Amino acid sequence: MKVLKKIGLGLSVFSLLAVTACGSAGTSGGGSSQGGSTASEILIGVQSPTTGSEAKMGQDINNAIQLAADEINDKGGINGKKIKLVFADDACDPQTATAAANKLVSQGVVAVVGGYCSGATLPASGVYHNAGIPMVVTAANSAKIPAQGYKEIFLVNGTTVHQGEVAADHMVAKLGGKRIAIVHDNSAFAKDLAEITKKAVEKKGGQVVAFEAVNPEEKDFTSLLTKLKNAKPDATYWTAYYAAGGLLIKQFKQLGVPGVIGVGDGANDKTLIDIAGKQAAEGTFVTTSPTPEFLPEAKSFNESYTKKFSQAPGPYSALSYDGMRLLADAISRAGSTDKAAIVKALKETKAFKTFGGNVSFKEDGTLEKSNFIVIQVKDGKFSK
Amino acid sequence: MDIFIQQLTNALVVGSFYSLIALGYSMVYGIIKLLNFAHGDLYMIGAFAGFSALSLLSGDAGVLGIAMAFLAAMIVAGLFGIGIERVAYRPLLNSSRLTILITAVGVSLVLENGVMLTYGPSFKVFPSQLPITGFQIAGATVTYSQIGLILLSVLLMVALQWFVHRTLYGKAMRSIAIDQTATSLMGIPVHRIIGITFFIGSALAAAAGMMAGLYYGQINFMMGFIVGLKAFTAAVIGGIGSIPGAMLGGLVLGLLETFGTIYIGGEWKDVFAFAILILILTLKPTGLLGEKVTERM
Repeated sequence: MKVLKKIGLGLSVFSLLAVTACGSAGTSGGGSSQGGSTASEILIGVQSPTTGSEAKMGQDINNAIQLAADEINDKGGINGKKIKLVFADDACDPQTATAAANKLVSQGVVAVVGGYCSGATLPASGVYHNAGIPMVVTAANSAKIPAQGYKEIFLVNGTTVHQGEVAADHMVAKLGGKRIAIVHDNSAFAKDLAEITKKAVEKKGGQVVAFEAVNPEEKDFTSLLTKLKNAKPDATYWTAYYAAGGLLIKQFKQLGVPGVIGVGDGANDKTLIDIAGKQAAEGTFVTTSPTPEFLPEAKSFNESYTKKFSQAPGPYSALSYDGMRLLADAISRAGSTDKAAIVKALKETKAFKTFGGNVSFKEDGTLEKSNFIVIQVKDGKFSK
Repeated sequence: MDIFIQQLTNALVVGSFYSLIALGYSMVYGIIKLLNFAHGDLYMIGAFAGFSALSLLSGDAGVLGIAMAFLAAMIVAGLFGIGIERVAYRPLLNSSRLTILITAVGVSLVLENGVMLTYGPSFKVFPSQLPITGFQIAGATVTYSQIGLILLSVLLMVALQWFVHRTLYGKAMRSIAIDQTATSLMGIPVHRIIGITFFIGSALAAAAGMMAGLYYGQINFMMGFIVGLKAFTAAVIGGIGSIPGAMLGGLVLGLLETFGTIYIGGEWKDVFAFAILILILTLKPTGLLGEKVTERM
């Protein structure tokens, strides 16, 4: 019993110490406008999922941001200071994301770049907003993120509103589909895109014959697809991620559901084709942000990325690379590491040249001009 | 009619996966009264062992290659099962049931994260996948692979039933389930029989994992978690500790989930499974085929 008490006492003293230590780090980080950055370094946080189902995407994003930061540092850094990246894993999960965001804030980062899953980026953006830290969102694109009205959050990726319109346009106007089926996985991004696409399809005169949700970890879509088969859709649109999307496409073809199938940008990854199988994936359309392989300007980026990490860049690598460069540009224009000044500089971004076109922001922090394109699977590869 | 036949096939495939895993749950519970919460992860281990075996074979594996990989997956997971029992459960067999339940959860975490560290966190695409050719019955598409999977599961279950009821080892297992101390007094190597039970249960789960890999074509280190919970539910529905109960429970769960998806919606799939679990536990705690047992703890 005595021993237990001693251990208990020790633990409580230890945790008290830990709490005070954290607290002081937090105040020093949040209190001074220079953040945790020193005279020669600028601390920049990177939030992305490096564990969990979307771990691969997180790695792609981290690599691209690292590449951009290294290039900037090699050229002398920003205003003579080197960029130091601090990585935080959000596991594509709201709870982990909030913890990750708090960690970055307490470490004193002056800005954050990244954000893949909208479900994780939404709560994290609130944390950054409260700390006044600017965030450049490079991949998450739920319309709910700008709708929060946080002036610190900027999206270099088009939102679901843009994407839903592009998808509806492709299915109804271009393919001449009348009966459209939409399937999502109840995650913030997928549900949002599905609802927006539904509205856009109806506006264009199409009819949504099925609007279904599945569990995010679903592996067996056969019962859902049997239901779809009965609804006889001309086109089916999957708005969630690639792991389940590949299975959906495979089982879609297996069951012989009529019509074409397409996926949103969360499912834009080569693995989608591997999981579905070349044969089943053939003809699948993908609505996506401009990915590096379709951009002539990104050739040198592709080469240096492949050389550095011995793998091809992922679908969000180019956007993340651009996001980091855009942020660095804003910090150098702000002329200091003061958070408010960086926010102001980001807002004033005028026609910053990125792979997907020139970036300027609207009042709500989203792109002035959307950059979504539709690509297709041909011979087991994505092509334009 | 077509939609009914289609869903029935779907349900049978899912149900046979659940049944195979539920068998391991039931056997281990039947023999040492342990809810082996690491069991779902042996399904995952099986899938990854099969993945590695198939990756070693270059090019198209063919039927023989797949059969070899199957065998490899079952043996690897079976050995894992024995190892887990030896390291994590045997030293605690005489302590309280709660302690051993906690170790089971710990083992599950170790397996999941171990595989994540070895194979990486992203989804793996199975090297060989089943062909998607099939035939039509009254408008429903049934693939040969689906029939093959159902038949193979039935075959494994029949083999298990035969083993438990017709062999000396099976007799020893049933005897331990009734009274472990008395059995050991008869000179039966109790620990070895428990080891064999773990081997068989794990190998069956691995077979299901391998089948899921071939059927769905995609595996991931977390795949065992929810399936493990579902199989546990299946075992409880059928009556935990009963082998025919586990088979029945798996099929019932597969049918419920599949037809529930049609009439209510896909996002409710997991809700069905766990609502049924609660219902069974309240109304008939012994499960559909469970017998009344006198409390021994």
